[in-house]
Amino acid sequence: MKQRTDAITAQVIRNALSSISDEMALVIMRTAHSAIVRDSMDYSTGLCDRKGRIIAHGMTMALHLGSFPDAMQKLVAATADDTNPGDVFVFNDPYVAGGMHLPDVYIVKPVFVKDQLEGYACTLVHQTDMGGLAPGSTAVYAKEIYQEGVRIPILKLFDRGVANDTFFKMMALNTRLPEMVIGDMQSQIAAVTSAARAFEALVMRYGAQVFRDFIEEMHARSEEMMREEIRALPDGTYRFTDYVDGLGETPEEIRLELAITVAGDEIIIDWTGSSDEVRGAINCPIPFTKAAGYLAVKCVTDADIPNFEGFTYPIRTVAPEGCIVNPRPPAACAARALMGWRMLDTLFGALGQILPERVPAAGEGGVTFPVIAGRINGEAFVCTETLAGSGGAFPWRDGEHGIPNPGGNGTNQPVEMIEAQFPVRMTRYGLVPNSGGPGKFRGAPAFVREYQLLAPEAGLIMRSDRRHHLPYGVDGGAPGTPCYNILNPGENQVVLPVMPMEQVQMKAGDIFCHISAGGAGNGDALERDPALVAQDLLLELITPDYARDVYGVVLGEDGQPDPAATETQRSRLRAERGEGVDTTYLRHYLAPLNLTAPRIEEERLFSCAPMPRLAAE
Amino acid sequence: MHASSDETFRIGIDVGGTFTDLVFAGSAGSLLTRKVPTTPSEYGRGIVGGIAAVLTDEGIAADRVESVVHATTVATNTILEGRGAKAALITTKGFRDVLEFRRLRIPQMYTLSFKRPEPLVPRNLRFELDERLSGAGEVVTPLSLGEVDALAVRLACEGVEAVAICLINSYANKTHEIAVTERLRERLPDVFITASADLLPEIREYERTSTTVVNAYLGPVLTRYFDSLTASLRGIGVVSPVQVMKSDGGVMSVQAASLKPAYIVESGPSAGVIGAADLARSKNLPDLITLDMGGTTAKAAMVEGGKVSKTSDYEVGAGINLSSRLVMGGGHALKLPVIDISEIGAGGGSIVGFDRAGAMTVGPQSAGADPGPVAYDAGGENPTLTDAMILLGFINPDYLVGGALKLNSALAEEVMRDKVIDVVGTSLEEAAHGIFQISAGTMVRAVKAVSTFRGRDPRDFSLFAIGGNGPVLAAEIAEALEMKRVVIPLNPGVFSAYGLLRTPIEQEMAQSCLGAVDAEGADMLNAVYGRLEAELLELMAEEGCPAETVVLSRQADLRYIGQAHELSVPVTTQPDGQVDIDAMRAAFHAEHRQTYGHAIENSQIQSVNLRVVGTVPLDQAAQIDMGGALRHDGALPAPRRVYFGATHGFHETPILRRASLGEAPSDGPLIIEEYDTTCVVPPNWAAACDAGGNIVLTRKEAQQ
Repeated sequence: MKQRTDAITAQVIRNALSSISDEMALVIMRTAHSAIVRDSMDYSTGLCDRKGRIIAHGMTMALHLGSFPDAMQKLVAATADDTNPGDVFVFNDPYVAGGMHLPDVYIVKPVFVKDQLEGYACTLVHQTDMGGLAPGSTAVYAKEIYQEGVRIPILKLFDRGVANDTFFKMMALNTRLPEMVIGDMQSQIAAVTSAARAFEALVMRYGAQVFRDFIEEMHARSEEMMREEIRALPDGTYRFTDYVDGLGETPEEIRLELAITVAGDEIIIDWTGSSDEVRGAINCPIPFTKAAGYLAVKCVTDADIPNFEGFTYPIRTVAPEGCIVNPRPPAACAARALMGWRMLDTLFGALGQILPERVPAAGEGGVTFPVIAGRINGEAFVCTETLAGSGGAFPWRDGEHGIPNPGGNGTNQPVEMIEAQFPVRMTRYGLVPNSGGPGKFRGAPAFVREYQLLAPEAGLIMRSDRRHHLPYGVDGGAPGTPCYNILNPGENQVVLPVMPMEQVQMKAGDIFCHISAGGAGNGDALERDPALVAQDLLLELITPDYARDVYGVVLGEDGQPDPAATETQRSRLRAERGEGVDTTYLRHYLAPLNLTAPRIEEERLFSCAPMPRLAAE
Repeated sequence: MHASSDETFRIGIDVGGTFTDLVFAGSAGSLLTRKVPTTPSEYGRGIVGGIAAVLTDEGIAADRVESVVHATTVATNTILEGRGAKAALITTKGFRDVLEFRRLRIPQMYTLSFKRPEPLVPRNLRFELDERLSGAGEVVTPLSLGEVDALAVRLACEGVEAVAICLINSYANKTHEIAVTERLRERLPDVFITASADLLPEIREYERTSTTVVNAYLGPVLTRYFDSLTASLRGIGVVSPVQVMKSDGGVMSVQAASLKPAYIVESGPSAGVIGAADLARSKNLPDLITLDMGGTTAKAAMVEGGKVSKTSDYEVGAGINLSSRLVMGGGHALKLPVIDISEIGAGGGSIVGFDRAGAMTVGPQSAGADPGPVAYDAGGENPTLTDAMILLGFINPDYLVGGALKLNSALAEEVMRDKVIDVVGTSLEEAAHGIFQISAGTMVRAVKAVSTFRGRDPRDFSLFAIGGNGPVLAAEIAEALEMKRVVIPLNPGVFSAYGLLRTPIEQEMAQSCLGAVDAEGADMLNAVYGRLEAELLELMAEEGCPAETVVLSRQADLRYIGQAHELSVPVTTQPDGQVDIDAMRAAFHAEHRQTYGHAIENSQIQSVNLRVVGTVPLDQAAQIDMGGALRHDGALPAPRRVYFGATHGFHETPILRRASLGEAPSDGPLIIEEYDTTCVVPPNWAAACDAGGNIVLTRKEAQQ
């Protein structure tokens, strides 16, 4: 393809667009009022061209990137005849406005240069509370969207520079935290306003025609780069199925059935066969389903493909209407992110068959989302966290902990910041011994995070998963360890479901303990380098009996593996092995936590380990 | 030129990966410079040997040295090379893994295989104490000294050399950390012990823990280094105070730096930027991008309107520092102020190699000072950028460091034929020029990191080239970025060492102080500032700066109540010495509006950290005479044959000295040889010397 814009100008414009998006992200991070935004970084920023196509994404939530296209198409279609300088748009509704769930509020400002529309500055912020039946507006147990909070169609937040006071008044009255929510919206407005100025200056500097030509070139170039990458993959259909445990005390599993077809320079991501939509808030509107597909493909292809919407054109998503990943109104969807995370696991399960070196075994299963909310001294508080960070193993490396799930690039909240703001004391944040899936390369250990309530009472809402359907191992690597939510750990502990269908009541002094799922392993545990086992032991990640029973590694007095004793032990363990996946390793993890073995869905384990390589049909 | 016998001297020393640069600035305006090889096995040897040589050569008695200021990369290299102390971490029960979880965030998106940096303290050396403070600083679980004693025994068994102490919520109440520190100092007198409340009493446990751990990891290594340096200086009769540059461009005594080495991690690269900013202000130069390239690394920074940009969101050991707060997680957090510099592993010593796909690579491995490039004839076996630049004719093998270091170009040619030509199959000069261009391309990335990556167009800036190799590559880099102007100051090869002497002494003290910025909160602010100032003056007096010479200023990190991030504003006092609350509020609103485009006038403002800075201003009377470098006698060398790449080919190129350039531009090709560097002027560029003695290169087609 002929490149008309000179190489330096192209580089400057492209980097300037990224830099404007990053600046927006910084403005929000620094001026936001809520912890979920400023400390967990659950938001995104980006720029679109005058047709609403994405041309830059800030260093924010990776999974949000692909959710701009649908929203912006709807916005451009709905406002084409009535977009003026000084306007700012707001919306959140997944059904009429292309949003994802009600807490994610989009605020978008059109950018005009010499009275011509040249693009849009876009922000998407997870607002702490949009009203509805539970604080935080992410109740897993909502049955329909009307229970989930304020639905905002595409509205003008500012009309030619004049603020829509009606909207602000309505909004303030319908949220539990008016100052925080309006404050965070102000942050979004500040971000799009400064970005629009910088965007305008950029276009002025190079001229509208040079800028528009450059944009078209970049869409074409990113599309072409993506097609080249896809062409390099072997044609065929690659299938994978993964599950969500389900809702409440007696969960019914939810199935995600995927077929990825590589045909020439196109990829079709087909979710046909997945479970139907459910009467709970984990239905995933189609924009987020598409976003998961774009992200997964982007993760396994050339990292240098620019974030111009052209890269999405060769990727087509199929999801029958009414299924869990393309629900119909009024299906509830507040906790839809859960399906996003599981879709990523499923997508990587299929893509791993094509590119086993680039794709790890399953990790913790995505961000879990505890909310502790109540009132103290007459004022509402909502402590919301996004927790992740236990990766699955590669065929060449252990799973990594202390990094985010690839779908988000969020941060953990500092314990000291939580304690400075909420009536909560954090009593533990650490790695869990003997956790993660064993393997030639092991999964990352699970993490535990504990919250002690200091207020007289509060309600707990929890969205997590992966207790019965464990993170899948690859090539004989064991599944990751299960996730637990425990009230008051110890002798009288109460084990809570992964997704309780009601608020769990907490009293002053109660401790809520969340233990993430551990990452899954890759390859046979009995082939793990004994030196690596000794290292894990030295770091107190595993106990000596675990080294002996699971890895067959026996250490000498010097702390180094005893080769002869290890070989004997490994031969014995091999001989004792039955068919299928052995999950007895879990007892070393469960016993110290005072837990009995959970019901584990066997089908799940056998369907993915060991994984067939290049099993194209 | 010999200095008059009563002239006293300040010495600036910049220890680079390859050369150690010395600048002597006399009280009567003399300026002496010297470049000596860096001695990595024992840095002090090179420094002290170089100083002794200058003192002898110039007939200066050692007692006429008034002060020694020094910039060093020892701290950074210790972390990059993993050569720090065996350190332990003591933290609150339940939080052993904070250091490893970090803030989770990683500096790349769409990646599945990111590897986090290994923690500087491994898990088996991280210990928990059963104690707890609340967020307000109240004791929830008291500290047991018996538990500390038991831990001391364990630490002794493990043979740790350093201990970092960081307890949850210690920013709000230091007493537990102080008690642990004192007890461990009693029990483990030979161990370097550092507490977070002492180093960085600020909220956010990961950042505070990581900063404290970096300090512990560096402490023993830097203490040994400073002790040995000071002793060696004493050995040659230099008894003046010895200071070191901090990452933010201020200086501190080596005694203070031994205790807080985390403050000097980016000591090395800062000096050149400070010098450039000083020159930009005094000479009314336009906005600059500085490019400092020596033997091992290249560093770029931006000077806009004479101001250097700083940040305290910094990480050490993250490879190229793209200087963006969103690109975090690749290194170890170091939440102390630092000049915003992007650095890349490319210099004269960068080794030429080939990747798996058969493409030629230059760096980031460097031959360093020892063995150095092949042409140094000191045992180097791998071809380097310097070897290529000799073969191109850019560098005169007989005139490096004024001829003190003779290079062997035959060896350079031999290794190039053996290890490069055979693989690439081109002519010798084409291969050498390819190496040169690849290096320039790498350098371009460092420049972009501080310009285009932030939406700034490099074409609006002049390239300010310093370091031993900066002026050799400057025109090539400027060409690639379409920059129209390159400025090369006097003494470019030792410019960083000069920058060290343009730095006021600066010390800072901070304290977390969560309080309301209003009439009711004023008492607390006054009390904290009063205490900080008294402590700071005491500390500076210990370091040889009497209270009457110190100028104090106050700063505060403030935010609107409910926000999590602060903005720093200056704090003024009323005539009675009380904090001017109204001015403080107005300054914050203005700063918020300036930074984010809006202010919330009716919102409550909260203080987070209060800071006091003590500065001893530079003595402006003693202006350094930079013109010495222009005085030159002796005949010009003969022209030589230089290869400028396929487009321009070979040229018989005149060799000049800086003094032979006039204010009117002379057309390239030209080579300007100086004691400490070589400036290459390609055929399509022209060179002039401005009134300030700076060489100014301009692109010919850009002159109209």
